[in-house]
Amino acid sequence: MSPQPRGTEAPTLSLLAFDDEFDPLAVDDTEIDQEWMDDDNPYDTIDYPTMRNMPETNGHAPVYTPERQGSAKEALRAMVRQNPGRRPVLLGIVGLCEGGCPSSKVSEAVEAWQKDNRSVYAPMTLCRMLERAGALTLEMPETTEEQHDDQEGVTYLEIKERVDPIWHATPEALELRAEYEGGAEFRRLVLGEDARYVDVYEAVMERVRQAPCGEPDIDALTSGFEITQKPRRFGQHFIDVLEMSDCLVWNGSAWALTDLGAALLDELKASKGEN
Amino acid sequence: METLDKNTVDDAQELASLMDERARTYGMLARLFRVEVDLDTLRELQAMRFPTATGNAAADEGYHQLYDYLRTAWEDSVTELAIDYVRTFIGHGVNGYSAAYPYESVYTSERRLLMQEARAEMLATLRENELKRGEWNEAEDHIALQLEFMQRMSLRCAEALRAGDDDAAANAVRTMDDFLQKHLLNWVPMLVTDMRLYAKTLFYQGLAQLLTGFLQQDEQVLTELNDSLAA
Repeated sequence: MSPQPRGTEAPTLSLLAFDDEFDPLAVDDTEIDQEWMDDDNPYDTIDYPTMRNMPETNGHAPVYTPERQGSAKEALRAMVRQNPGRRPVLLGIVGLCEGGCPSSKVSEAVEAWQKDNRSVYAPMTLCRMLERAGALTLEMPETTEEQHDDQEGVTYLEIKERVDPIWHATPEALELRAEYEGGAEFRRLVLGEDARYVDVYEAVMERVRQAPCGEPDIDALTSGFEITQKPRRFGQHFIDVLEMSDCLVWNGSAWALTDLGAALLDELKASKGEN
Repeated sequence: METLDKNTVDDAQELASLMDERARTYGMLARLFRVEVDLDTLRELQAMRFPTATGNAAADEGYHQLYDYLRTAWEDSVTELAIDYVRTFIGHGVNGYSAAYPYESVYTSERRLLMQEARAEMLATLRENELKRGEWNEAEDHIALQLEFMQRMSLRCAEALRAGDDDAAANAVRTMDDFLQKHLLNWVPMLVTDMRLYAKTLFYQGLAQLLTGFLQQDEQVLTELNDSLAA
């Protein structure tokens, strides 16, 4: 179709009309023009980076590292705050590795801890995250010599014993874990930032201590407090904060009070002169 | 693997055992090319014995490299192997040169495309032998499926030998020899060269070598068997 001079454009319809001579089915694409491919094909290899040419340094740097956060303790603190759902497991691994723990045992324990949540993290992935944060170190055992076994004139190589590296928790990680175990997050969040709702928290903890329950029950309980009406605070807010403080845990069907939660509840009651 | 021809095999049972052994090796190779190694497979591999002198330098080197990797492998190696599997066989990029693509079509078509003539031939071969890909979601000319085809034919051959059906056993040998020559040996050397370029772990480097060596040995076995059948 030839271009039209300005001011004499044909009506739109004629511009969009099909060219009678064009037949898409007549195009013969079985003939491959390699020269055309090389010159114009946007997927051509020449200007595109390939894996083969990718520099080793092209990966992403880890998010939580002692270099980035200032120390191993701060890197671990940032990691557990940003991964609230993983915190009990991460700190549990740190505790397990105090003095050293074989990776097979760590895996076994983590699988058990994660059975009630749909974690996509494999135990060793979590350990590697902790290692990058400076919370764990890995001790690789000495590799055994090659083991030969001769049978019927044929020599075979055999693996007699499997490698089971040892994970060790660093002092900084253990220090942070001790803080959490002492209820530092509870004091910071419940008794600090959210202190005006302390009665509500106490009621929630008491309710789940009596019997584990779901979010609707907790929401019904918290909605009965006038202070939660304006600004509106739903039950989920209190669950979140208590979970972040390691006081509540999801047991697969309901929220339950942890041992730390029970101890902190008693402490809270004692401080208020209850009991 | 020892080389045998039918004249030296006193008993069909012995030949059937050889076919079983070939089927096991083909099965293992097919599994390792099909998907990434999981923990169960890793444990199974670590329980294996690796021959040191098979009579083929590439197979020996392959077994040794696999052994060297596996004896220091632990749970975290599963992740390392999964990363290397993706790097080696899937890659990043759209140019057709970013990985060792495990499809015959890529290596035998001018534009390195999937689903080309090789796949059609493979489909026809499967149909001729009353097989189909089943749950398999990849194209039929994937290396894992080709190796599994050899495994199935070896098992059929062993079964025929044990049942005293020499014609069926001879047919299976001819099919395997033909398939090895026309398909596997036609493109696997190129695949292996690329695997050695992309794979970073000793495991996939060793797998590449083992595949080369094993196919070379199997070519010898099948040629000798085929010749003795023709004589």
